[in-house]
Amino acid sequence: MLVLALRSIRQRPGRFLATLLSAFLGAAIIMTFNSMHDTAAGDGVDAVSSETLGTAAGVVGGYGTLLVFFAVASTLTVNVRQRAAELELLRCSGATPAQIKRMVVGEAVAVALAGAALAVGPAMLGGRALLEMFQDSGQVARSVDYAFGPIALLSGVDITLVAAAGAAFLAVRRVTRGRGERAGAKRFLAYAALVAGAAGAGSTFLSSATDEALMAAPAYGAILLSVGLALLSPGLLRGVLGRLPQAGPSVWLAVRNLRERAAHLAGILVALILFTAVSTATLTMQAVESDAVKASGLVKSVDAKNLETLNLTVVGIIAVFVCLMLVNSLYAATTYRSREFGQQRLAGATPGQVLRVVAAEGVILTLTGVVLGTVAALAGVVPFTVVRTDAVLPDQFAGVWLAMVSVTAAVTLGTSLATARRVLRTPAVGAVALAA
Amino acid sequence: MTMFRTRTRGGHDQGPAPEALRLVKVTRTYGTAENAVTALDGVTLSLARSTFTAVMGPSGSGKSTLLQCAAGLERPDSGIVWVDGAELTGGTEAELTRFRRGRVGFVFQQYNLLDTLTVAQNTVLPLKLAGRRVDRRRVTEILTAVGLGDRLGHRPAQLSGGQRQRVAIARALVTEPRVIFADEPTGALDTRSARQVLLLLQEAVRVHGRTVVMVTHDPVAASYADSVVFLADGRPVGRMDAPTPDAVAERLAHLGDDVTAGV
Repeated sequence: MLVLALRSIRQRPGRFLATLLSAFLGAAIIMTFNSMHDTAAGDGVDAVSSETLGTAAGVVGGYGTLLVFFAVASTLTVNVRQRAAELELLRCSGATPAQIKRMVVGEAVAVALAGAALAVGPAMLGGRALLEMFQDSGQVARSVDYAFGPIALLSGVDITLVAAAGAAFLAVRRVTRGRGERAGAKRFLAYAALVAGAAGAGSTFLSSATDEALMAAPAYGAILLSVGLALLSPGLLRGVLGRLPQAGPSVWLAVRNLRERAAHLAGILVALILFTAVSTATLTMQAVESDAVKASGLVKSVDAKNLETLNLTVVGIIAVFVCLMLVNSLYAATTYRSREFGQQRLAGATPGQVLRVVAAEGVILTLTGVVLGTVAALAGVVPFTVVRTDAVLPDQFAGVWLAMVSVTAAVTLGTSLATARRVLRTPAVGAVALAA
Repeated sequence: MTMFRTRTRGGHDQGPAPEALRLVKVTRTYGTAENAVTALDGVTLSLARSTFTAVMGPSGSGKSTLLQCAAGLERPDSGIVWVDGAELTGGTEAELTRFRRGRVGFVFQQYNLLDTLTVAQNTVLPLKLAGRRVDRRRVTEILTAVGLGDRLGHRPAQLSGGQRQRVAIARALVTEPRVIFADEPTGALDTRSARQVLLLLQEAVRVHGRTVVMVTHDPVAASYADSVVFLADGRPVGRMDAPTPDAVAERLAHLGDDVTAGV
């Protein structure tokens, strides 16, 4: 089966590009930040520098692990879903579910290994740049030398491999088992996340304006709320669809398509909601905090600076991964619909109308994701702002929000429309015959 | 040649043309210069209004290409196509789509119904896309006529092949086109369902005055038509009126004898 796995990768490298890219980016980020552990372990590193380096490595390393897992899982789920026919063929030719599982997991591990190997070089450069950044801002002493050692290398490779294998296992199990989602457990998790998130955001009011960790409670509250909303998003999307005015054939078709595909679109909605919530909440709170410190005339402590760097880095990493997941999922989902587009065209839709259907779907998806994400973000931002500055909604919110929404809208609509345009180049009759 | 020509789109209400479909010297070649395959080799053909014509021929004879060129799904390399008196012009797919709306309807072997829509929604889709008014009563009437009046809310996946094909026929009829093109409409059906589909196509011609062009390889299906046009190597090689299954099969078996084998 491993031979088959390797052969299947060699035959179709393009299909594994997204997985490779997420493994590469994930490994690069994990190694970059974990090399701070190696650096901190060097001779003659003072306590403050060591703590800064350790915090950075710990926080971002942890986030990185989660993100690699989600990104690889997302790309592999798409990959396995696309290959349903091939896997079915293997099963008909006598492959047991365990063999198929081994093949898919084997492929994922091979791709992850390649991604991790590719990531070593960039991670060394990135780590060096990161250390210089810390030194420039005075968070780490100039005398500290950069080191890329066993912690960085081992953690990068191990985490990437384990994440890839785990994600592949889950993805293929979902396919070989068929549909058996435990809706009850999912709903329980969603409500648990919502309650915990609301509690976290609400507990902000118990803190005072000068608390060091003031930002933690509302930030985690916003994240948990967005996770809860993300889990409930397919149902919420259906609710939105029922209330839309349906002017014109394109919106009419878009609403019906989305209603049927709501469960499949969950991954895209999750990415949209988490990105909007986490990035908007973190960046707004950071901006409020920085302005408040500036207004009070104090100089930021090293800890405060560390927090700022980490906040910005984490948001940056999340943004990159979410974009990767969105582009990959939307590209795959849209390519997969070639036959459906052909059928629409044969029923009398012009290519322009098909594109308008895709655009309408993208707009509805983006709006749903952004609104839910904004709700979660506000739940974190408002308590923080009230406690920190006595205002309710900070001035910085509008700008940050607009920037984040523009990014999501551009990525979602851009990918869907560009892919649909490409798909529409196949003549309708050919597109219908391809999958038949 | 006194031909009723109009280049205005959507102008098919200016009175019916005497011929529902007319092809003059239509040629279509696939592939590049060295290994080009001529699918249609200067086909000239005209079909009168309210007729049911079957197009037959061996695999690779150009049947499907003929249908696609005549229906405006594909552009011929040269030659002219008139549908209901209007010349098929326009280069872009959007222009061709607008030309087809209201003039032609399609029935395919693979049904090509949208899985996300119900039976009723699939049927009204061409009207919606063309921006035309949807008359619910009329839609129910058409679906009842094809025997699916009690399945309006079903999805295609919940229907049998024969039922799906009847939805496709209802969808082709709903825009009241002059010509209905059917590409192997019974190719995936059992004999009973096939018979129902063929009778519906016949009814579209006899009762509603539509013109039906059907590509098929089944002599029994062809015998439901008023006449059969035989095609070999991209050229029409004969015609048979009032066909019977046996006569059609006999003729098909000897098609190769009539033409000099193309090199």
